[in-house]
Parts: sequence; structure tokens; C-alpha cells
Amino acid sequence: MIPVGRRNLQGNHACAYAAIAAGCRFYAGYPITPSSEIAEKMSLELPRVQGVFVQMEDEIASMGAVIGASLGGVKAMTATSGPGFSLKQENLGYAAMVEVPCVIIDVMRGGPSTGMPTRPAQGDLMQARWGTHGDHPIVVVTPASVGEIYTETVRAFDLAERLRTPVIVLYDETVGHLVETVDVPDLSDVTSAQRKWASGPKETFLPYADPGDGVPEMVRPGDGYRCHTTGLTHGENGFPTQRPAEVEEMTRRLLGKLERHRDVIDRFETVRTGDAHIVVVAVGIAARAARRAVVEARAKGIAAGLFRPITLWPFPEAAFREVVAGADAVLVVEMNAGQLALEIERLVGRRGKVARLNRISGEPIGPDEILANIEELARHGHR
Amino acid sequence: MTGETGRVGGDRQIRFSGSGGQGLQLSARILAEAALHDGWSVAHSQGYEPTSRGGLSRSDLVLSRGVIDYPLVTSLDVLVILDDVGATASTSLLTHRSLVIVDAERVTEPPLGPWTVQRLACTATARRLGNERTANVVCLGALLALTPVCTVDSLTAALRDEVSAKLIDLNLEALAAGRALISQTAGVATPAAAPAAP
Repeated sequence: MIPVGRRNLQGNHACAYAAIAAGCRFYAGYPITPSSEIAEKMSLELPRVQGVFVQMEDEIASMGAVIGASLGGVKAMTATSGPGFSLKQENLGYAAMVEVPCVIIDVMRGGPSTGMPTRPAQGDLMQARWGTHGDHPIVVVTPASVGEIYTETVRAFDLAERLRTPVIVLYDETVGHLVETVDVPDLSDVTSAQRKWASGPKETFLPYADPGDGVPEMVRPGDGYRCHTTGLTHGENGFPTQRPAEVEEMTRRLLGKLERHRDVIDRFETVRTGDAHIVVVAVGIAARAARRAVVEARAKGIAAGLFRPITLWPFPEAAFREVVAGADAVLVVEMNAGQLALEIERLVGRRGKVARLNRISGEPIGPDEILANIEELARHGHR
Repeated sequence: MTGETGRVGGDRQIRFSGSGGQGLQLSARILAEAALHDGWSVAHSQGYEPTSRGGLSRSDLVLSRGVIDYPLVTSLDVLVILDDVGATASTSLLTHRSLVIVDAERVTEPPLGPWTVQRLACTATARRLGNERTANVVCLGALLALTPVCTVDSLTAALRDEVSAKLIDLNLEALAAGRALISQTAGVATPAAAPAAP
């Protein structure tokens, strides 16, 4: 039973409830700290809505089962943390290649390897973008609160279905285990997005043809449309091809389909960036500390602002470029050794200074520390 | 994640700390539910080690009458320490305004500083009631008497929701015994703030 109204809710539980509200009816996973509460909640709730929960033998098989279920016509998801996310990468690439809608939750813990299971980190920001091999489309969203885990998980399913792509919901252990008072919306009357099903004459149907928006129609099992699904580079008919022109065209469509739908993909939050000379960039729990630091910096007369990507990949770069156009320093705050900073440095280029504040100790970065770094930049004339 | 202010007047920050398995998460969850009922906005975070029992465990609450922008504790109004493993782990979050509640038996060296320290016989009281594991609820009763962040009725209701039916009487006894510890203790931190006994 999905709770609605004002209540205390854990981030991971919000994720599970949101998935069911969005229409998810299949979960396959292998529990891992700090994501296990998602599997636990799904195992209780999915049977109540005639859904299926499977605890698989490992993360590789989990990802395979999710892809299979989605090809079977059901909204499907899995949840994991760093070590399991690594194992899912091969099948994740397959899902991106054959364009199977699915949602993967990665609750980030200390890494690399087994790392620190119960400690927070943001070390998977680049893995979420480039974890699987080859050029591939992927959407990654990064909620920063329990309420936002709910809304972004719903949006993840909608994006996955509309764009036929894997969508990753990426958040740190702190946010995942955080319990916050939230107003859970009643989504029972909301129709969540559905994929486009194959239509028109069956004889001439091509499963990977571009219908005009870059997102091919999917074949619903039993509808009688012919379809071939392979991770090999394929043409419009779904069968393998190595003809250069065909390969180029299909791969460009695959990569380009996200760019064509930036209007629904891009999402970000800005705090007092209008006249900011120092712009802080952060996600997750680090962004919540940064928000307070920015407000406190303003109280001290420093023109600071916050840019918080809610969609992390593809990075909402048009909005970011606009925000930093008038700034002369950017502070990137991350609970890793410096990952998002690479993207920010690329976007800022030579137009301003990019400073970094990183933490890899397994502790969150607090508002005071961020404020001290903002003040340091201000002392050097960036105000 | 809205709200433009930092810590505002009237917010409360409370940490339960000790050894994994002492019911520290449960204590915070019960208090969080009671506070929600009494109109607070709550942020409840936690830290624990990858062991099923033992190790440093903590559970933190930020309570606000407004919107909580940053959900983690930054300076504690109340620090509960139920075991030596938590004795020094939170000292950097204490100020002269902090109240530190320590278990008289399991905390041999409370943190020293300009804050108020209240040594309470939580474990001994729980043992007397027949189950040492209710020390966390004894402590919760004492905490409520010292800093009434929620009503007794709300805390009792939350306790009933969170504890299994066969253990509810024992836990209600523990709660009452914890509150009685304060009315019996000389030199309490805020005796005037203790609510009347039920």
C-alpha cells in the first residue's frame, strides 16, 4: 500500500513506493548495503499489486532479468550499490544498445571495490556515465532529498519508457538512509508514461526505424510484429550489420535521441545564481550543505549561488553555461576525489577559475567547510 | 529541499549514540514519529558499522518548525551516550548549550567540557525491570522529562506503533521509569521543564 500524505519516510522506501506508483511491476535484484531497503520494500509491495519480485543469484543475472521483463512489456527495475553496479555494466550496455526501457538505482557507498558498505560517497558519478563500454546513451538523475527521490524515480520510469533507454537513479548513502518528513503525493490518478508500441502494417514493420523523434516503436509480445533483438550493431530491421553507412546512421540515431529530447531530460535547481560571482556545483547531500553555505555566504555579503544538476547525465550544460556566464569562480563540491569537476572544467574552460572541494573519508561535507571555501575564493577577489 | 535559512531558532538537534544493537535507531525512530505527530518536521539520519552488533552506532534527529534545508546535525542540543564506544565520537558537535545524557554504568568517561552532563542509571533501571535491552527506552523517558520536545501521549503512541505487542507493557514501564529517574534525581539540568507524571 503506497502511503500518501504527511509522514516520515526513508529515501530508499520512497524509491520503492515511487517505482510502484510509476507502474513498475517487476523487480529483480541482489540486495546490497546501502540499497537493501529498496529490495525489501519491493518484495513486500509488488505482490500486492500483482507484480513480480525475484531475488536473483547475483547482480549480473538481475540486470538480465530486468531486461527480459521489460522486453516482455513490463516496467522493470533493479537496485544496487557500487560493487553490484560494476557487475551490471555489461547488461546495462546491452539495454542501451537494444533500447530497452529500465531503471537502475545505484545507492553510492564508499569505494573502490567493497569499500565502506555503510558510509556515504559520490564515487560513481563517472561510472554512471561511462561504466559500460562504447559510446552509448544513458540518462542519470541525482536526487538530493527523500521527496526528490520519490519524484525523480517516477520521472526515471517516464524517461525510460518515452526514450527507450536505461535510466539510472543515483544517490548517496546519506540520502538513501535519510528519513524525512514529506508529503507523499497521491499518484493513483496520474497516468505515467508508456512506451510506444508497434503499429501500422506488420509486413513492412522495421523494429529499429526512426519514426521521426529518434525513438523506435517497441514490439509488444503477442501483437504479431516481427522483431530481432541483438547487442550486435544492427540496422533498421534489427539484424546485425557492418555496412559503414548503416552503422553510422544507426549509431548516430542512438546517441542523438537524448539530445533531441533535452527538453524533458534536463533538470536542475539554481539558488541565487542570478548575480552570483561564485557558483557552487554539487549533487546529493553535498548540495544540501552547499545550499546552506550559499545562504550564509550571502548573509556575509558574498555573491554566491548554487547550481545543482538534478539530471546529471547528459549534463544540463545549456543552463549551466548561462549561470556561469557572469561568474568568475566555480566551486565543485564532491564526496569523491574529483569527478564532476572534470565536466565543469570542460564547460567553464578558460573563462573562470574552477576550485575543488573533495572528501573521500566516508563523511559528508558540511556547510561550514563549504562556506570556508567560498570565503577563501572571495578573499582572492572572486566576489 | 526548499527554504532559505540556515539553522533557525527553535530547531532541535539530538543524537543517540552507543554500541550497535542498543536500540539507538529505534529510539530515534520513536521520537521522530512522536515529533511528527506534534507538528515538527523531521530529518533522521544514521551511522553504523558493517557488523550486526557492536561498533559505533549513532542516530541523529533534526527537528524543525519550518523546512529543514540541511538534514544532518551540526551542533547538538542533546547527546545521548549509552556506551563507552560513543564517549568521544561526538565531542566536536557539543557547545556550552548542549545536554549530554550518559549511561552511568556503561559510560565510564563522559566527554568533558562546558556542557551539562547528566549521568543516569538507564541500564541499571532496565535490568531492574527485567530486561536490560530496554535501557534505550528508559533513556527516552528521561530525555523527554529533561527536554520535552514532544508530548508524553505522542511518545507513548509512537512506542506502541514501533514495539511488538508482547513487549509493549515492558516498554511502557521502561518509559515511565525513565521519566521517574529525572524527578528523583537531584541537580537535574532543567527540572522545571519536566512535564507532570501521568
